[in-house]
Amino acid sequence: MKTKILLAVIFFVSAVFGQSIGKDHSKLPVECKTCHACDQPTKRNPCLVPCPREEMITIHMNPEDSPDVITIDQFKGQSDLYSKVVFSHRLHAEMSGMSGGCAMCHHYNPPGNVISCVDCHEKERKRADITKPDLKGAYHRQCLECHREWSTDTGCESCHAQKVKPGSPEPKISKSERKERVHPKIIEPTKKVYKTDDYENGTLVTFYHNEHTALFGLECSSCHKNETCAKCHSQFEKVAEAEPSFEKQHERCASCHDTDNCESCHTTKELPPFDHGKATGFILKTYHADLSCSKCHKSSKTFTGLNKNCVNCHEPWSAETFDHKVTGVILDETHTEFECENCHVESYSVKPTCDMCHEAEISFPKKIPGKRIK
Amino acid sequence: MHEHMKPTPLPNKFFTPTVVLILMIAINGLIFLALRFFFGIGAVTNLDNQHPWGIWIGIDVAAGVALAAGGFTTAALGHIIHREHYHVITRPALLTALLGYTFVAISVGVDLGRYYDIWHPLIMWNGNSALFEVGICVMIYLTVLYIEFLPIVTERFIGKVNLPGALSKLNKSVDKLLRALDRGLDKTMFIFIIAGVVLSCLHQSSLGTLMVIAGPKMHPLWQTPVLPLLFLLSAIAVGFPMVIMESLIASKSFGLKPEMDVLSRLGRIVAPLLGIYLAFKIGDMFIRETFVYLTDFTLESVMFSIEIIIGVVIPLRMFLSEEVRNSRSLILTASFLVIFGVFLNRLNNFLIAYTPPYAQNGYFPSIGEISVTLGFIAIEILLYRLIVKNFPVIAVPVKQTSPKTKYSIRGI
Amino acid sequence: MAKQSRRNFLKTAAAVGATATGMSVLSPKKAEAAPENILSVDRMGVLVDTTVCIGCRRCEWACKQAHDLPAGNIESYNDEATFDKKRRPDDTALTVVNKYPTENKPHVPTYLKVQCMHCDKPACVSACIVGAFSKKENGSVVWDGSKCIGCRYCMVACPFQIPAFEFEKALEPKIMKCDFCFERTKEGKLPACVDICPVETLTYGKRSDLIQLAEERLKLYPDRYKNKIFGETEVGGTSWLYLASNDFQKMDFPKLGAAPAPGVSESIQHGIFAYFIPPVAFYALLGGIMYITKNKDKSEEE
Repeated sequence: MKTKILLAVIFFVSAVFGQSIGKDHSKLPVECKTCHACDQPTKRNPCLVPCPREEMITIHMNPEDSPDVITIDQFKGQSDLYSKVVFSHRLHAEMSGMSGGCAMCHHYNPPGNVISCVDCHEKERKRADITKPDLKGAYHRQCLECHREWSTDTGCESCHAQKVKPGSPEPKISKSERKERVHPKIIEPTKKVYKTDDYENGTLVTFYHNEHTALFGLECSSCHKNETCAKCHSQFEKVAEAEPSFEKQHERCASCHDTDNCESCHTTKELPPFDHGKATGFILKTYHADLSCSKCHKSSKTFTGLNKNCVNCHEPWSAETFDHKVTGVILDETHTEFECENCHVESYSVKPTCDMCHEAEISFPKKIPGKRIK
Repeated sequence: MHEHMKPTPLPNKFFTPTVVLILMIAINGLIFLALRFFFGIGAVTNLDNQHPWGIWIGIDVAAGVALAAGGFTTAALGHIIHREHYHVITRPALLTALLGYTFVAISVGVDLGRYYDIWHPLIMWNGNSALFEVGICVMIYLTVLYIEFLPIVTERFIGKVNLPGALSKLNKSVDKLLRALDRGLDKTMFIFIIAGVVLSCLHQSSLGTLMVIAGPKMHPLWQTPVLPLLFLLSAIAVGFPMVIMESLIASKSFGLKPEMDVLSRLGRIVAPLLGIYLAFKIGDMFIRETFVYLTDFTLESVMFSIEIIIGVVIPLRMFLSEEVRNSRSLILTASFLVIFGVFLNRLNNFLIAYTPPYAQNGYFPSIGEISVTLGFIAIEILLYRLIVKNFPVIAVPVKQTSPKTKYSIRGI
Repeated sequence: MAKQSRRNFLKTAAAVGATATGMSVLSPKKAEAAPENILSVDRMGVLVDTTVCIGCRRCEWACKQAHDLPAGNIESYNDEATFDKKRRPDDTALTVVNKYPTENKPHVPTYLKVQCMHCDKPACVSACIVGAFSKKENGSVVWDGSKCIGCRYCMVACPFQIPAFEFEKALEPKIMKCDFCFERTKEGKLPACVDICPVETLTYGKRSDLIQLAEERLKLYPDRYKNKIFGETEVGGTSWLYLASNDFQKMDFPKLGAAPAPGVSESIQHGIFAYFIPPVAFYALLGGIMYITKNKDKSEEE
């Protein structure tokens, strides 16, 4: 790779990705057509397509593993009026989670190391190949594409410090200044109630945000698709959009929920938080209440139609293998001798019967076949 | 009958109350003119980058050229088709054209940002430019007009050369020179007369080509590839009405009997010429289907309607009537309407139809522009008066029927 | 009229005819008497991608610096209030940036740099009475102050209403317009505006390459752009080309066809002056009529 300078926007990537577009890249897991326009590219005429951008991303990593701060000083020493940029990389990587992810900036990366902008974008503005913007243009376009969306301030000083005069030395940036550049923690809402006056049969939709993230285990990006900083930060007045279509309005919920039964979401009263017992008739008690949904509902999308029988999830139990303690009752010596079915005649969800051995006045839960621990 | 008419310097007094008034208008114009040369065009005019041309071009130049068309139409009628009958009006028409074109040239100079470079087109050519053609043709035609006027000067001075003081010794040789010049002119005058007509036809039409390049910036009611033809036809049509009006006003002003028989005969030619112009104008409108804009009731559609109805249709009908042609006041009215129509047409083409794409506000001439324009018209009138008083231009009845004087203009 | 006079008429008429013919023979020279107007295949241009412009107006500043116009402090160009009014290039600024709402992204404005488009078939070059404008080999349309007489016909002719005039100057007023930094590009430098643009809204290159680049962008991002390259065909094509997400007419671009601006006017001109034949023929015709009517008069007299 022609990585001459690794000062700029660079990810330090593990050796796993150390492979480069070497002599035999035909075996790489990439379609030839992604890069080559013709059927039989040769070394002399590789007939490369113009920058394929997002079609050509092979690297992805978690923001936590990415560099924290990167100094962009490719134009060091030039007679520019503005100084280098201290770029809070990790912060931006985190923020990008709600939209396009790494590929928003790293829009092109063939197998190998994470490549820097200067590897593709030429520093010289006067150049033969004008299909890609030059380096300065590429940097500014990349940053400003988002920044101008949420901030009217496209002024140079919001990223660069201004020098005293062109060509004078770079101003020092203190460590504390670097540290300040963090995004405040986003406080997640617990409950949101939407008014839907258009739908008369139920003018309220109660949405428990915390349930969806914590309980149902959804990622932010599974709902917040392609959202930019401007979603929260826009300094522009929001222009009232024309009445969005039904599909558009229900898009987010409908990716999981059915839209056939309106009343399941649109109600006349605010709904209480999700209650498994009420909603399905299967009350989650002690042990089950602590489980995440996906423990039982294996398919991430459909939560319905699960058989309530224990054996649907559990291995068939036997007296030898089952530790009765987990139910909250430790069986006394007498009762451990019995088979499960002796007491649990019908189903485990129904209370056990004692009349196999005992008189009618002895019954569960008045009398307990051991010691209750919960 | 015209044998009894002979061009003579008029004996009238120069100053009358009206003349004083005109003189004041002229002085007012000259004051603003001085401001333009000291402080720039922007100081005196309402012109800006959206409206590069104002009334100094639209009226002084474009309308000025059109209304000076009397010169070449009369020359064509009197000298080329040899209608001797009209010779009494060729000299006044020539003088009007001469003054008209002189002031067209002066107006161009006033409007040019670098007036001192006005000679550049003589050596810096651009054959693609309609303006270059207009400029060159007007320059040559102006020269031709002065040559055509020379015999009037020689006629005035031959035998009467009277230089003051010491120069009086030269009297004889100057007189000889004038006689030689007169003889030379007499033999070659026809070249200049034909050249004058050709040059006029060329630049009258090219003046129309001028605005074609403005393309969509010009309102479709006027923007047409046949603009040069329309300009030529309207110039030809306005020539005789201009001569009629000027002859009637001059005769009134100098207390002469109007040449009604000549003017009525001239009036007979006007209707067909106007008719041809109207036919092309209406035909063009229907071919390009621009009549749809007529119902817009915008400034443009109203101005176009006025131009056509009041400026062409009504005078056309009037000139068709013998009663009108024989009535002094009616033929004056009809002529005035034609002149108004052509004047408005030039104004419309150059100013009203020109709708600059980024104009924040419309153009209306400033006091300075109006003053200069009026001032120039005033000076023209004063010069006309001065010249007809001193040179044999206007024909007056001569008592004795003498043979043609040697130095009258024979046969040209 | 005397006989001698008539013979004289013939003689002079012949002389005039000969002169006229001479002129018509020489007339190809006249056709060359037009300003330099080169349409090179390799002419340069600029592709303006208005969707990336951030409205920093550094191009305005750089332009003034490069043309010795008072440019002022660079910070003063950050003033948002400048965009309240739509501005046009004039004698103090050869290029200006205006702000428009974006159709598909109402919260992000579209900025539009305006300057001379450097037409392939420039109306000003065709119109100028003294040929003070010329289209150079590298695509720039340049004004020559040593020829200009200040008639402002170029301003009437320009389909984009670009040339500006120094109305306030009493002496040596100039026609002011973008010259594509002719002096800078001659030295191998970039035009000042292209050089300074931080986002490279302005891509400088061969016009043919730029059109290819623009077409590729339109194909790759159909949602981002209106499917149009302004200047590709307008008035016969321009050296400066524009991409935008807005309708171009809504950004005050004039609605223009593909016909070159000087087309009709030049064909009329060349029609009337086709090798001087029509004027000379007309002259001869009038001469003939004059001769015949004169003879008629004569015979009537006799």
